[in-house]
Amino acid sequence: MLDHDILIIGAGLAGMRAALSAKELGADVAVVSKVHPVRSHSNAAQGGINAALTDRGDDWRDHAYDTIKGSDFLGDQDAIALMCQEAGSEVIAMEHMGAIFNRDEEGRLGTRAFGGQREARTFFVADFTGQALLHVLYEQILKAGALVYEEWFVLSLIVRDGKCGGAVMMDIRTGRIEVVRAKAVILAAGGLGRVFEPSTNALICTGDGMSLGYRAGASLMDMEMVQYHPTTLKGSGVLISEAARGEGAYLLNSENDRFMLKYAPEFKELASRDVVSRCEQTEINEGRGLDGCVLLDVRHLGEKYISERLSQIRELAMDFANVDMVKEPVPIMPGMHYQMGGVKANVDGETGVPGLYAAGEVACVSVHGGNRLGANSLLDTLVFGRRSGIHAAEMVKSTQHVNVDDSAADDDKSNIQQLLANDKNESFGQIRLDMGTAMKEHFGVFRDENGMREGIEKIESVKKRAEDVYIADKGNIFNTNLLFTLELGFMLECAESIAVSAADRTESRGAHTRTDLPDRDDVKWLKHILVSQNDGGGHELSYKDVVITDWEPVVRQY
Amino acid sequence: MKYAFYPGCVSRGACPELYSATIEVCRILDIELNEEALKGASCTGAGVLQEKNLRLGDTLNARTFAMAEKSGNPLMTICSTCQGVMSQANERLLADPEYLASINEDLKEEGLEYKGTADPKHLLWVIVEDLGIDFLESKIVNKLNGLKLAPFYGCYIVRPTKALGFAENSGRKQALEMVIESVGAEVVDFPGKTLCCGFPILTINPENSVNMVANHTIDAKDRGADAMVTPCPLCHLNLDGYQPNAASARKREIDLPIIHLPQLLGLALGISPEKMRLNKHIVSTKKLLSELVISP
Amino acid sequence: MEVKFNVRRYDPESTDAVDHFQEYLVDMDDSSTVLDGLIRIREEVDGTLSLRCSCRSAICGSCAVRVNGEAGLACNTKIIDVLSLDGKTVTIEPAGNLPVIKDLVVDFQPFWEKIKSVDPWLQPEGEEPEAEYLAPDEDMLHLAGVVSCILCGACVSDCTVMEVDSNFLGPAALAKSYRFVGDPRDDSSQQRFKTLNGYGGVWDCTRCMKCVEVCPKGVAPMDRIMALREQVMESGYKNTNGARHANEFTNSIKHSGWLDEKKLVIKSFGIFNIKAMIGLIPLAIRSQRAGKVPPIFHKNIPGVENVRRIFEKVETKK
Repeated sequence: MLDHDILIIGAGLAGMRAALSAKELGADVAVVSKVHPVRSHSNAAQGGINAALTDRGDDWRDHAYDTIKGSDFLGDQDAIALMCQEAGSEVIAMEHMGAIFNRDEEGRLGTRAFGGQREARTFFVADFTGQALLHVLYEQILKAGALVYEEWFVLSLIVRDGKCGGAVMMDIRTGRIEVVRAKAVILAAGGLGRVFEPSTNALICTGDGMSLGYRAGASLMDMEMVQYHPTTLKGSGVLISEAARGEGAYLLNSENDRFMLKYAPEFKELASRDVVSRCEQTEINEGRGLDGCVLLDVRHLGEKYISERLSQIRELAMDFANVDMVKEPVPIMPGMHYQMGGVKANVDGETGVPGLYAAGEVACVSVHGGNRLGANSLLDTLVFGRRSGIHAAEMVKSTQHVNVDDSAADDDKSNIQQLLANDKNESFGQIRLDMGTAMKEHFGVFRDENGMREGIEKIESVKKRAEDVYIADKGNIFNTNLLFTLELGFMLECAESIAVSAADRTESRGAHTRTDLPDRDDVKWLKHILVSQNDGGGHELSYKDVVITDWEPVVRQY
Repeated sequence: MKYAFYPGCVSRGACPELYSATIEVCRILDIELNEEALKGASCTGAGVLQEKNLRLGDTLNARTFAMAEKSGNPLMTICSTCQGVMSQANERLLADPEYLASINEDLKEEGLEYKGTADPKHLLWVIVEDLGIDFLESKIVNKLNGLKLAPFYGCYIVRPTKALGFAENSGRKQALEMVIESVGAEVVDFPGKTLCCGFPILTINPENSVNMVANHTIDAKDRGADAMVTPCPLCHLNLDGYQPNAASARKREIDLPIIHLPQLLGLALGISPEKMRLNKHIVSTKKLLSELVISP
Repeated sequence: MEVKFNVRRYDPESTDAVDHFQEYLVDMDDSSTVLDGLIRIREEVDGTLSLRCSCRSAICGSCAVRVNGEAGLACNTKIIDVLSLDGKTVTIEPAGNLPVIKDLVVDFQPFWEKIKSVDPWLQPEGEEPEAEYLAPDEDMLHLAGVVSCILCGACVSDCTVMEVDSNFLGPAALAKSYRFVGDPRDDSSQQRFKTLNGYGGVWDCTRCMKCVEVCPKGVAPMDRIMALREQVMESGYKNTNGARHANEFTNSIKHSGWLDEKKLVIKSFGIFNIKAMIGLIPLAIRSQRAGKVPPIFHKNIPGVENVRRIFEKVETKK
């Protein structure tokens, strides 16, 4: 049995940030990640990180309002205010750690414009900001000598008398299963993109953290709020950063019109993401698309500018769409990208289950509400990763370990034996594909009652089929076949939470747009939907009012 | 066809056999060599000068290119390293007009200006592209049937593929194999054919250098090669000169003769081995030559 | 199109744990990547095939493998670009120079150890400013090239020096060192140079350009190593064979326009390096016998004053 003060699940930006801040306060910290830290999906973030720096004449209140409006007023305003207040110092902290942000002529941090914001306050590293920041944190982790269980897979959280006391995890390299006792567990395992097909997300984004938290008694909040990013490549789902639009790209339909001018006269291509995705989908649905896509055009920016600020997306378009963006526009479409919802957590990461924290995309505070602004996710991970680490480090000083021994791993061990012994013949790949296609079809950019009910049924039937998955690899060493099957379990649980939450919300707000109920209902629906597991193993829904402080909800216009 | 001949330093130094073989082969293949044009051209820098001062290397090569342009003949090299260094320098010079202009400022005093039209080509590429394999075959008098040859390119003539124009000239990737087959010999393929011979670290880390020689020569030999052929005299120097060291380090015999590309061509074109100084190698070619049926 | 994937398998748990090739015949689109193929194989044909992959868009660095003997990312290698001469086959093997754990999964520990050993974090000097450090954008843009490194290991897989000498720091770690040496905010260059100048450091690179060729992000590790050599020499570390070699090479060209090989070899080792001088004797004798000796009197090229003038001009520019 292994012992630590704090166990952090996930080594992306949120996880490593939490580890650094907790270690600084003297806690015995261990990070566990099913991939090496630098392989975490944080590295795929491209555009930048938002912050209102007062010495530039910017005001965090403006950033907060843009975020609140962007969230379609579902975001909790106290949490948003806090995140925007701490943004500046977080960006400076990253720069001090070594991030090579873009600079202006005076050598100070430079900015670019980004979606849904009236002021340019997005700090960036060319168009691979996520990768740059992730590597900087990894360097700091090395410097601090933090312990990382690299390529270990968390099977379940340990809960005793409602309190989280650690986790059961498997060393992917050897198959060895260990019980880890921890006074605090911080979930930082990221999103659930693979629940949808296609998605911009990496193959590792399988909702592990959300499912682990759910099974441990935490609630999942705002799960219906799934963001479709406006500019993803057809087929592969590869992301083309919002930075392109931030630098001045146009969106064109098949008639060569900049259609965003008519839907969002003020913000145009930089309206909030759910708005842009809906407009694109409308153009496509009404026959002004090209093979299911619209066009993203940066030719007018010129080769030099593109090479300096958008070099990565140019490579992506060439590698994955056979298009040189310097010469031609690239066909794009809305693609599933981010989960605004997640494990309910407060601004210090506390989930309501004692000993269990959550930060980053896995969590829902909620700072993104019904729609996340671009470049707010990197901010979210760092601010709340840091805060969770601090709070957990303080908390463990006066906490005892929960009563746990190696037998805590028994259930997981026998579950794995059963899975391996299964002689039926469903394929995990086919099941995931069926689940993903159903989720995209029934819980896409536009939803309706019948579609969602059908979707729920489809997910139910896929769940049943998942019981018959055959695992060909019976080995202990690097058994990826087994891992995918375990991940499938996590994903199906998340899919179900998304489906039931979506079917419950009888209005349109943010990313949840219903063609049968197209209006926002502030009278009934200024509240979050929570899903939690009940004693019978089924789910139950509850509600939490949105926290409104200084900003009254108004109709969103861009 | 006439070319401004750039022999490089080593063929005039430690590998005189390369120089003699080249002259003989070009005579038979109707390749006219303008040896005057680049008499005053400097060493390319071989990548070593470039690590002390990249701009200096580019300036010296731009000068050589300008001299070739002045002569009106295209530039021909006989060394993989010369070829690679020149191609890389050319890529940099052509990519940035401002850079080229400032380099030309330094060439002005000598009355030289590089206009950007140089396209240095190794004899290997001249044969495969400018003359054509069919032409080569038409001049062959001795088919070297039964001979098994391992190709060894030399890093600088296979990487980086972009500077060397591999995308535009697809034959360059397999050029050496094509020549080997056209003279009637059999290609002994082995993974090390495009790897490093160890020459650049000869004086810096002799142990690693000898290990590289050992790996490649032993692998080729064990796969049945009678000899190894290379278009780079630096590779030749290491694979030939250090082969005895490699053999003693691995405690076994290797005995793999290393021949220059022009020497291979010469054997097929009917030039006598003595004229090409094939008796002037460290690893003896005696056995190899006696097994070949060489008509006078 | 039908593609034959020739994949190197290794199962450490099988009774006769030996690596072997396994063929898979799969139907793929013209635009499919190698990774698409491998994923299809493990989802539809053979679930026991293990490989690392994640982002599918060349940013996470997980899927470095050897395709037809050359390292690269499976996710951005189009099958159609790497079909063998028969137009049908692609051979896939695990990355080189690292121990194989299973199938295409290699042990990256030695790679991470090398990265750690160069202290890969920013080491600024003095008090931290309240706001950001000031830095020129061109410096940041210049670093963007080397910061693009996704630590995928392709360069290390194919490094011809690491194939014979596992002690070499390697292209990834050295490029990472350059990232900090080139950062105006970092103040630890002098200490870094000490390590870089030493055993297994910058001088062990054989300039074969494999790392430049296989890097999927254009980091050009070899170019960074060369830049480090220049800086190491400039900062005063002149007492290595490598530095002497570079200096003597340059001097030779400066004075005569071309290479004086005899002088170069002797001066690289250092004429007072008795052991090395003695070690050269057998080579000298062999070369003498074979007549492979450069001319005794090293003549200048005609018009050498032009070369000398260029040297003077360009060297002062620095």
